[in-house]
Amino acid sequence: MPNIAKGLVYLLIAVLVVTQLYPLIWLALYSLKTNEEILSGQFFALPAKWQWHNYVEAYTNGSYIKYLGNSVIITAVTLICVIVLSAMVAYAITRFKFRFGPAVMLVFLVGMMIPMQSTLLPLMKIFSPLELINTRWALILPYVAFQLPIAIFILSGFMRSIPTEMEESAHIDGANVYRIFRSIILPISIPPVMTVCILTFITIWNEYIMAATFISSDRLKTLPFGIYSFVSQYSVNYGDIGAYMVMGAAPVILIYFVLSSRITKGMVAGAVKG
Amino acid sequence: MNVLKVPKHAIGIFILPALLLYICIVFVPILYSFYVGTLDWNGYGVSKFVGFDNYHKLLFDDPYFWPAVRRTFLYAAASMIEIPFCLMMAVLLNRYVRKANTLVSIYFTPVILSVVIIGQLWKTIYNPTSMGGMLNQALISVGLESWAHTWLAEPKIAIYCIYFVSLWQYFGYHLLIQFTGVQNIPSEIYEAAKIDGAEGFKADRYITFPMIVPIFKISLVLAFIGSLQSFDMVWVMTGGGPAHATDVLATYMYTQSFNSQEFGYGSALASLLVVLCLVFTVVINTVMNRIDKRFS
Amino acid sequence: MDSKSKKALTIAVAGALTLSLAACGSNNNNNSGASADASAPASSPAGPASSNSGEKVTLTFQNIYVDPNTPTYKTAHQIVEAYEKEHPNIHIEFDSLNTDQQKQKLKVQANSKEIPDITMVNPAAQMKPFVDADLFVPLNDMLDQNGLKDTYQSGLLDYYSFDGNVYALPDGNNIEVVYYNKDLFAQAGISAPPATFEELLADVKALKDKGIIPMAIGEKDTWTGSFIFMNIVLRTYGPGFLSDVAAGKTTFEDPAFIEAVDRFQDLIQAGAFEEGATAVDADSGRNLFTTGKAAMYMLGSWETGSIDASSVGPSVAAFQFPTVNGKGDINQFMLAPGTGYAIAANSKHIQEAKDFLNYYCLNFPKAQFDNKNAVGLPQKVDGDMKAAGYSDLAISVMDLFGKVNGGDIAFDNTMNPAVAQAHLTSLQNLFVQKVDSAQVAKEHQTAYEANKDQ
Repeated sequence: MPNIAKGLVYLLIAVLVVTQLYPLIWLALYSLKTNEEILSGQFFALPAKWQWHNYVEAYTNGSYIKYLGNSVIITAVTLICVIVLSAMVAYAITRFKFRFGPAVMLVFLVGMMIPMQSTLLPLMKIFSPLELINTRWALILPYVAFQLPIAIFILSGFMRSIPTEMEESAHIDGANVYRIFRSIILPISIPPVMTVCILTFITIWNEYIMAATFISSDRLKTLPFGIYSFVSQYSVNYGDIGAYMVMGAAPVILIYFVLSSRITKGMVAGAVKG
Repeated sequence: MNVLKVPKHAIGIFILPALLLYICIVFVPILYSFYVGTLDWNGYGVSKFVGFDNYHKLLFDDPYFWPAVRRTFLYAAASMIEIPFCLMMAVLLNRYVRKANTLVSIYFTPVILSVVIIGQLWKTIYNPTSMGGMLNQALISVGLESWAHTWLAEPKIAIYCIYFVSLWQYFGYHLLIQFTGVQNIPSEIYEAAKIDGAEGFKADRYITFPMIVPIFKISLVLAFIGSLQSFDMVWVMTGGGPAHATDVLATYMYTQSFNSQEFGYGSALASLLVVLCLVFTVVINTVMNRIDKRFS
Repeated sequence: MDSKSKKALTIAVAGALTLSLAACGSNNNNNSGASADASAPASSPAGPASSNSGEKVTLTFQNIYVDPNTPTYKTAHQIVEAYEKEHPNIHIEFDSLNTDQQKQKLKVQANSKEIPDITMVNPAAQMKPFVDADLFVPLNDMLDQNGLKDTYQSGLLDYYSFDGNVYALPDGNNIEVVYYNKDLFAQAGISAPPATFEELLADVKALKDKGIIPMAIGEKDTWTGSFIFMNIVLRTYGPGFLSDVAAGKTTFEDPAFIEAVDRFQDLIQAGAFEEGATAVDADSGRNLFTTGKAAMYMLGSWETGSIDASSVGPSVAAFQFPTVNGKGDINQFMLAPGTGYAIAANSKHIQEAKDFLNYYCLNFPKAQFDNKNAVGLPQKVDGDMKAAGYSDLAISVMDLFGKVNGGDIAFDNTMNPAVAQAHLTSLQNLFVQKVDSAQVAKEHQTAYEANKDQ
């Protein structure tokens, strides 16, 4: 490849680094500015005086620890449920022969495209008599359900590519299907499972409409409530919002980097296909 | 494919928990929407059965419905067209950058940030000149003053500005998926091909592309679904305005259901969305099978 | 939270109650059998069911006060703390949401009769569907306790009354004014605020020539444009246009309405509003004004507090919307009765909620006054604003309230939601293109006729 073309490729890569990384830097600067500085629209300007107190205010006024705890609990339970349930379905669809297999897949596929907003009212109707309103389950159940199709889609795509020899020999050795699933399929599915984790995580971590509708008690509220607590009818504290957003995004970035390194590692180690 | 012999109850144990949950939380509301779509109802007061009036009005007598459908599917098309570019980048990164993982992670950061942040950032970029919009300032500084616009307030271009932000935000998302796919291709295959004289783009044509098809499909489907559900970005940037010029199906449905309090009408809209999804799922499946055949 | 400030709050609130009760001491407060002993002013009007029984009761209070830095948030939390202190068995749980989210949540909750014990609704047409669906309880008996009813400005509760029953109690009562930045006006060589619409247009031009945004608006939130437009209608037609339409006395194709559309378009075409206004939300619109980029800002008097708190505060004053083509009375204002507190019919603790709300509303005006939020109060409050340290702007806006000689309420408070939505869309469209005014009128009439049976 000629050097010019190679240079162009590196240029493209570099430009993309700037454009994709910029919002994070922007947000970090934003969180340390006064309202006036933010509204003046100076893009690259550093704050005249670093407003660290934005973080103090965001922390104290936004119930950060409490909301963070709730977000973590809800996200963790959702992730576990999504992974276990979707892996089981994906395995069944790809390996078991039964009449309704394709129909099951279709059912999941169709529901993939429904906007969450359209289910708010019917879900309220379903949860209300079950006394699930204003409990964590009112969020976990729909979060899991809405993430299932994508997870099944990704995992079944992967499982189809796993050769069946291992399972066959395990079967001959007397392992039943549950054992095969637990000791063979789940461990080698870790890379796509990590992908599912990341996709699920970023969807539900910032979810607000459903949370705002089904949760009323302050002790159960999640991080997006904190962000919106600085947006009132008559005033907006941009600096505090920025600080809160940084604190809200920090765990995501952390977890993302942990998980994403596992994806690529796992991918290389578990390259069983081909 | 070899199929394991499993006891019947195992099928139930593996499938039913997920299926039941899914049917209760996602499918029942869909059916409910079909029913509510036949009512003239604000969602909590007295309802009146009106048969297919809502559906009829939507299809034939609503100046905002079809444009919203068009914008939604254009959104989907744009997101799907982006994916080949993501694949190309994944290939380039894999080939020319030694520690590409870090780069992929950096490209992914906009996906992690909440739409509220992204929206706020891009609104300042798109601001009109008099409010110091960065894009206009850049255009003016290179002498393209006539290209300056009030981007988000012009009915004809506002929606494209929103598409662009989405494409930008989700670039890293699809890149990550494609990149893991590319990395997953065993290097021995390339080495073998090298011996046969296939290198660079020739190797891509005969090895990378065929092997990446399943991953490519996943990206396509994710992009398609993501666009049909898209709500937040439009809501934050323009709220569907000016005068519905940037409404997509989800935002229009929300406005009808909750602002106009025509819940029956909004539900009819939701159910039509489901029908459209069904149709397009079939279309996409066909297209994908074609792709499959072409590369296998 | 430190107990010292808590104590101080309690004392302040208890003091406020004394003051209110002293002011209304002559009122009959004993006709429901569940009222307070008038000789013990610091205790609240709790019914026997809640004050003596030890049963723990949690009341959910859904509200739109999310930001801890705003005065109304402080007021609400102070009163609630004081009330919980006096009634250890009652716990008030705040569910605070931003306005749009709260409206949507309430509608979803209404469907399943899951409305929180105490919630908030907008007046008149916006709350009518809830009342029609029997979702709220009448508050008449509670209003008679401790003379609460007489603390409200006369006529205000009518906006919350249906068939002789009051269903909600407002948290505010505002009027629409035009705030202007005196420094920017001076820069553009304008000596006095406009008295006619023509002068307003001339001022817009003068400001624009100086590169100043004449008037800030947040038209992404479509009600802001409607509120300005309806003020023009109030001038060209006089009060009661929408109710006359509803009564069949006129239609949207009335010449006065068409004239108002024309004038509104004149304003837009003259460049009165910032570029790209339809993508600017209400907060950002306000910010254009409070950061000194825009010279005028036309909205409800509730904005006074945040303008005062901003850097341009000292140079801001307010004027009344001028006459249009020589028509109209400048003492007629667009009126904005505030969001009202209502009690859910599905509540398990209606009596406790009523007792609490009675206490809350009795203490509300004084606490708001002390938190520097006296502009636009729904209730009468005695207090010297000057002595309490209120700004000149706040005092001058309060003076405008004294001039009010009738007016109208906002479009979405008068017409049903579907018509209101059509109206808002139609007006937002005027910001991006010039439309034949007769066409706009026709759109309105069509939407009205299609939805009026609701």
